[in-house]
Amino acid sequence: MASFSTQPTLNVPPAAPAGRDLRLDFFRGLSLWFIFIDHVPSNLVAWFTVRNFGFSDASEIFVFISGYTATFVYGRVMRERGFLIGAARILKRAWQIYVAFVFLLVFYLAEIAYVSSRFENPIYTEEFGIFEFFQKPDVILIEALKLRFLPANVDVLPLYIVLMTLFPAVLWFLLRWPNVTLGTSITFYVIAHYFDWNLALYPYDHTWFFNPCAWQLLFVIGGWCALGGAKKIDSLLRSRAVTTLCIIFLIIAAFYQLSWLSHGITRRLPGWALILPLDKTDLSLFRLCHFLAMAILVIRFVPFDAPFLHSALARPLVLCGQNSLEIFCLGVFLSFSAHFILTEVSPRIPMQMAVSFTGIAIMVAVAALMTWYKNVERRGAKPPPASEQNLGGKTA
Amino acid sequence: MRALAAASALVLLVAVPVRAASETCEVPGSLTENFSRLPHVAQAVMRDKKLEVLVLSGVPSQAGAASKLKNYPAYLEQILRGRLKDIEVNVYAHAEPRKSISEIIAALPKLLEERKPNLVIWQTGTIEAMRGMDPDSYGDKLLSGVDFILKSNADVILLNQQYSPRTDFMFDGGPYTDNMRWVSQTKDIPLFNRYAVMKYWSDTGIFDFTALRNDDSFEKLHRCLGGLLSDLIIRAASLPGSVDR
Repeated sequence: MASFSTQPTLNVPPAAPAGRDLRLDFFRGLSLWFIFIDHVPSNLVAWFTVRNFGFSDASEIFVFISGYTATFVYGRVMRERGFLIGAARILKRAWQIYVAFVFLLVFYLAEIAYVSSRFENPIYTEEFGIFEFFQKPDVILIEALKLRFLPANVDVLPLYIVLMTLFPAVLWFLLRWPNVTLGTSITFYVIAHYFDWNLALYPYDHTWFFNPCAWQLLFVIGGWCALGGAKKIDSLLRSRAVTTLCIIFLIIAAFYQLSWLSHGITRRLPGWALILPLDKTDLSLFRLCHFLAMAILVIRFVPFDAPFLHSALARPLVLCGQNSLEIFCLGVFLSFSAHFILTEVSPRIPMQMAVSFTGIAIMVAVAALMTWYKNVERRGAKPPPASEQNLGGKTA
Repeated sequence: MRALAAASALVLLVAVPVRAASETCEVPGSLTENFSRLPHVAQAVMRDKKLEVLVLSGVPSQAGAASKLKNYPAYLEQILRGRLKDIEVNVYAHAEPRKSISEIIAALPKLLEERKPNLVIWQTGTIEAMRGMDPDSYGDKLLSGVDFILKSNADVILLNQQYSPRTDFMFDGGPYTDNMRWVSQTKDIPLFNRYAVMKYWSDTGIFDFTALRNDDSFEKLHRCLGGLLSDLIIRAASLPGSVDR
């Protein structure tokens, strides 16, 4: 079990109390729906996603749960079969994410090629500048493969690739000294903020939209929780004081975010209270705290065996969350397609709603198909190793 | 800004459009809402009977037939001259094609010295969004540029990116408009949300911005923008009541 001592005893993800923790699947599914909706440009439905009601958005949920499940799945592999096999599994996953990134890049470039060859509307002379990037496709392709050119909407994948590539070493430490590793991660976050560390992009030496030096902290916090870190301070997290504090914080954050819609309200705020917009690139502390407050309240009010998680209504979200990488990629692909329909057919509100809900329906259908196929395969094959029958899900 | 855009779409479901520049340029009042003043404009018009406006942007010049199209600075000048009788109004458009905000700030001292504007309309954020500049650094740079202009005794209106449905999947201008909003609040200057206004026109079918080629909407759009900007200037500087034409 997880330990708080700094002795080099190996920590193991706790066993599933009774099967899979559907809360992880449910909320990851929700974050995937939100990410898709937010990625359909100029979409009215995006008004109803989490980012409009607080500081953090679906990205935080996705990265945290990814850190949690990665630690859960690969932590067991690393403990049972050694560092090398665990590291190989993690790197294999990183490679799959990289391939997914390249796959989406192809669609992105195809859509840009389509638009750039036909688009001559003089209203958009300034926007034509974007096509300058693609005048040297050989350079762009190489830079993209080196993760130095990142298309918009796909950029959480490169973050994921970097985090997973470095994860074997992080996990090795996390399994032995979870608190020290978390402390190191926090220190790195602070130092990276202080020195403005981030990875550079081609060709203007601007930086990654999701700064891995900052976002690693959320991934590690997820891993630390998977190893029972949060369980050790469970009584504190469930205390009335912490719960009240979290609720107050979320209400204030919702007020701030909603007030951003009205100049009339924000202009009345004193200068020191003008904290928006928050820095998403470097995972501003306000965003981090907002996400943690939401997570604490979820742990407090949504029990592991909450009946609604097994209900037919929750099923579509759970299915999407159980096939996260595939559904994430499908969501990005669908957002490109939705954009195409919005420009080719109609950009108006009924169509914005139609493409959003159709996209979600397709995500759920594909997720259901994948889960069905996995179950058929599993029944046909010999029982999988215990490490893959986990509560966190295989798709870390 | 995404939130703003979504809200503006929401507004059109519930709000009754108010009369704006012309029948075809109607927008709900909330989209052009402004609480900041333009004291230098007021002083120049009331005391000196003249108004020098500098429109600063990174837009490249149009080629071919498009070079003859009339843009919003030209319409703004025409409309302001019509509305401010006996006032000498000059609107000068200066573009630093595809230049980043740092390069535009470097060009400011010479430009302000030459033109001595009472008002600078700063169209910004598109190039930076396309190139993926860190939005926070963009906000800091913009703040320093606005500061510099204000110290030269000119007012500033910020003008954000366009609604561009063909290219908006390639880059997200939202974080840059959010930072413009922060600068506008910090320095108490107007922000003209061109994105929200154009999105409203698109959602309501007043304009179709998905056209691949010129469909004669360029001048119609720029006339509307010029009209809305002139409304904003006249209201924010409390100039003699000539908003209703």
